[in-house]
Amino acid sequence: MNPFIPLFILLGGAVASVFIDQIFEKLGAAKWRGLFASIILAVALIFIGSEVAAGIKVTEYTLFGGEAAITASLKLDTLSLYLSMIFCGIGLAAAIYSMKYMELERETGLDRYYSLLLTLVAGMVGVTLANDFFTLYVFWELMAISSYSLVSFRKWSWEAVEAGFKYLIMSTIGSLMALLGIGLLYGLTGSLRFDILHAAVASRAGLAAYLSMGLIMIGFGVTAAIVPFHSWLPDAHPAAPTPISAVLSGIVIKTGVYAMLWGLFKVFTPAIYGFGGALIVLGVLTMTFANIVVIMQGDIKRFLAYSSIANIGYIITGMGFAAYVLNHYPDQVAVASLALTGALLHILNHALGKGLSFLCAGCYIVRAETRELSKLEGIGARMPVTTASLGMGLLNLAGVPPLSGFWSKLFIISAGLGIPSDGFMVLATAIFILNSVIAAGYYLWLLQRIAFKKFSSNSEIKEAPALMLLPLVVLAVTCILITIMLGPVLGFIHEALEVVLG
Amino acid sequence: MNLYELYFGASLLLILLGLYAIASKRNLVRIIIGLELLTIGVNLTIITMGLRTIEGAVTVDALAQSMVAISMAIGAAVAALGLSIAINIYRHYGTFDVRKLRKLRW
Repeated sequence: MNPFIPLFILLGGAVASVFIDQIFEKLGAAKWRGLFASIILAVALIFIGSEVAAGIKVTEYTLFGGEAAITASLKLDTLSLYLSMIFCGIGLAAAIYSMKYMELERETGLDRYYSLLLTLVAGMVGVTLANDFFTLYVFWELMAISSYSLVSFRKWSWEAVEAGFKYLIMSTIGSLMALLGIGLLYGLTGSLRFDILHAAVASRAGLAAYLSMGLIMIGFGVTAAIVPFHSWLPDAHPAAPTPISAVLSGIVIKTGVYAMLWGLFKVFTPAIYGFGGALIVLGVLTMTFANIVVIMQGDIKRFLAYSSIANIGYIITGMGFAAYVLNHYPDQVAVASLALTGALLHILNHALGKGLSFLCAGCYIVRAETRELSKLEGIGARMPVTTASLGMGLLNLAGVPPLSGFWSKLFIISAGLGIPSDGFMVLATAIFILNSVIAAGYYLWLLQRIAFKKFSSNSEIKEAPALMLLPLVVLAVTCILITIMLGPVLGFIHEALEVVLG
Repeated sequence: MNLYELYFGASLLLILLGLYAIASKRNLVRIIIGLELLTIGVNLTIITMGLRTIEGAVTVDALAQSMVAISMAIGAAVAALGLSIAINIYRHYGTFDVRKLRKLRW
């Protein structure tokens, strides 16, 4: 398949949705305006899924440029298909959910909303399809600008504009630091294509290469919300409309993780550049900090947002284990690939679980008109379908066996214990296990408060509308399906690993 | 001092000035100006990295030129969005002072 096609569908859809929206308005069907965006995302998802079913051929597509070293091009491989499928899937769930949610919340300016959602997903898919840093940066900024405007979308609320401004400043500084690192790499090698950079950087391990590696790691780390650079996330994610919170927490931060993974593993080879230790320290710091802070949150969306930071910590630690092993014990490739399998599977598990939890939280917020956890206690009994879906999502995130959330953590832990003589890795794994236990505890505590406490308010609370329940039920069933079909999913991830580890 | 060092020094100065402005200024518009300085500094770095001397004439590599052209457009979009959010903040708080909008911890 030509990798340009899914991008063309999504970007063309974003432009067309502005005009289609006016037709919807003229026909008097304004509340169905999200249908077009949902169809576009579904087409993109089916397209990518059919490519997976047909068997993947690695392809390249040159956007412009003559000589190989200075072209801008797209690539298509298993890893990019895996991530684009997750991105389009969660985006589709959010688009269907938005149709009813935005109407019930009486939001205005919806003619721009779906267009921005489509450019956001297009930007993320483009990042995974980029074959050079230039293309990656352009799609990166497409994603970033769409998410800034979606965070400050409810411009009538002080929270949204303030969080949007903070997000814009911090994330732009991060992107510019990454761009500076990319510029230094370009000066070092004269090219931006990943394969040429990979060959050129390996023989030039010096101060400039380490500097640009650090800048790229920090720059993309801001979007991935690694701990010293996380402080925008707990403000920005709750301030956005709930379907956008699901997209931001579920998949946008994963784009940062992908950019770090690709930049570090494919350009700076872990065997030459020892960044594994730094990644492990950052990951452990991230999860420990977030897991401590999350317990103190009284706002359901802030609670879920902080727990996203903790899950990013798990993924980064998994990547760090892989890089550390490849650097210090080059013969133990099996341990490294186990750690990376866990990290990639956790990207899927967290996207599903966190997207689902945020969408469920949105149902409660619509019905109870509050985000305070203390006022939402016990509401679950009045909304059984929503609560069942929330339970599925939270159990998956908590890592309760036999759900797939359990296996991804188990893979990372067993990789961490794979080399028992290494005290550093064993220590990091011990902290990882402790964090997983704390996380499982607070997810179950949240579920218990929502579902089983006695509801304090006397007001009439009805089940959420069917159109909002549809994406919830589909995502909850997907969680179960992935657990049942863990074998094929792991086989697919294994193919994606071969792309990363070469 | 050759051209390369001059450009590199200037871009480093711009980056540091931009970071200083973002960290120390209290006015939203000045923070966005700092962001612009940072953008310009990074763009100038890329141009510096693309400097080539071919037969005595100094040119800039085509990739660096196209990258900076697109990066400038992106920088303008970010600045425009930042200013429009700043206007909305002004409508809520009646001030551009960042210290006054500490409802969220900065």
